[in-house]
Amino acid sequence: MICNLNCAGCPLAYLCIPLAIGAFIALKRYRGGLQKKRLASQLSFLLISNAAFVFGATGLIYTYFYCWESPYALMACPIGVLEHAFADRSWYLLVYLAGLIGFACIIFGRAACGWACPIGFLQDLAKGRRTKSKLDSKMRLLKYAILLAIPPVCYLTEKLAYTDICPIGGLTATLPYLAMDPNGYTFTVFFIPKMINVAGFFILIFLMTRGWCRHLCPVGAMMAQFNKISLLQLKYYEKKCIKCFKCAGVCPMQINMPYDNRSGECIRCGKCIDICPTNALAFEFRW
Amino acid sequence: MKKAIYLVAALIIFAAGANIAYDSVKSLNIARCLGCIAMEPKAVKFEEFWVEYPDHYNNKGIPPHPDWVVNASKQKVVMLFFWGPSCEPCERQWEAMKKADLVKGSEENGSITANFSYIQLFSINAPYDDEKGEAIRIYTPKGDTGTPTTVILFEKNGTIYWYAFSGEANGEGGRPDINELINILEKAKEEKYDLQS
Ligand code: SF4
Ligand code: SF4
Ligand code: SF4
Repeated sequence: MICNLNCAGCPLAYLCIPLAIGAFIALKRYRGGLQKKRLASQLSFLLISNAAFVFGATGLIYTYFYCWESPYALMACPIGVLEHAFADRSWYLLVYLAGLIGFACIIFGRAACGWACPIGFLQDLAKGRRTKSKLDSKMRLLKYAILLAIPPVCYLTEKLAYTDICPIGGLTATLPYLAMDPNGYTFTVFFIPKMINVAGFFILIFLMTRGWCRHLCPVGAMMAQFNKISLLQLKYYEKKCIKCFKCAGVCPMQINMPYDNRSGECIRCGKCIDICPTNALAFEFRW
Repeated sequence: MKKAIYLVAALIIFAAGANIAYDSVKSLNIARCLGCIAMEPKAVKFEEFWVEYPDHYNNKGIPPHPDWVVNASKQKVVMLFFWGPSCEPCERQWEAMKKADLVKGSEENGSITANFSYIQLFSINAPYDDEKGEAIRIYTPKGDTGTPTTVILFEKNGTIYWYAFSGEANGEGGRPDINELINILEKAKEEKYDLQS
């Protein structure tokens, strides 16, 4: 497919214009060796996530958050699969989902959040404010509560209960369809709640760095605890550390670094590694 | 050592899961659930049955109706109802059709009621029905897989006449409501059997 610079008539414009703007903003923001590689990875995964226009939709599942109703979604949304498993009583879907998330996260921990997820990428570009709220540690538990609530609610209602109000679906599926054909649709009762949640999502990510990932993302909650046992670990060499706490200052997840290096909140972004003046932090694969 | 065991266990579960569920996930991924995007496409209000694709379709010419549709439409007026699992507008339309005494049973095992015995219903689980599910692409304006999609067809003198719309039959956006849907089916019967006065 060749660009003819006719964005108004192009179904890929919703993807390629943000990609170009994102790359431009990001080039200036991603400083440090690992960060340049991370930017290349995030851009690649944004493209891969929307590669159905080349490969068609597949039966693979994203190991991060992206809506499978997005116009060119290549894979399936892990939350959508979870919902179908319970709403349709298709239990075999759980074996596939658990195996995939388990396998990827035992190797990489929550690295998909830092290196692959387009929603994480968007939050890195938004560069929300660093906040110091006493409620922060409690609010982080919200994402686990949401993840745990999805199965019983879908089972009891026999509906895709989270999908109905999912802001990520609103952002990556509803809005692109609307952009492509603004007069082509009527709205269901869930349109307004979805759009309110999309607005809430944007407020959150500008108010707090990685605000969505820290507090509300059920996919992040699925992966977080694998950080403790994953092969990829963020190692902390205390003897080298001069306690400058620059690592804590740059951490987008606002983890208590360098002491909490095994935290389930770590998205393996490597910003702390890039900034550490004494190389007291490093990624290592450990069996 | 512990991590190696975890990794192998996860790999085995993943491989087994992919083996049994890959195709289902692919089907679900291909199917476009209109309820999930909280929007339903506007339709062209029914005025008359089409023979060729109308202007708002990407395709042109006579649709490649599958053989099973052609054969059924020779016998009766045919209604194709493409639905998907956990598709809320599909469920609502089915329930409304049931309430209007047009259909009985569930989407999965549904049939037409005795009052409408001139109709042959195909209630098709679009993502999971390997044989008939793909036909949805023929009848959606952009050749996609949005559920629910409803198609009415009949054959007369070797020509297939048809009308289709995607989204719930709730009277919005040019789509018929259930009463209008029944009127369209009645009109199909009149035209097929030359019953007009
Ligand atoms: S926690 Fe953030 S980065 Fe991770 S899957 Fe969720 S949205 Fe994506
Ligand atoms: S940036 Fe490096 S030296 Fe400074 S506190 Fe963190 S680990 Fe220690
Ligand atoms: S601890 Fe380091 S690698 Fe983990 S999220 Fe914070 S900055 Fe990124």
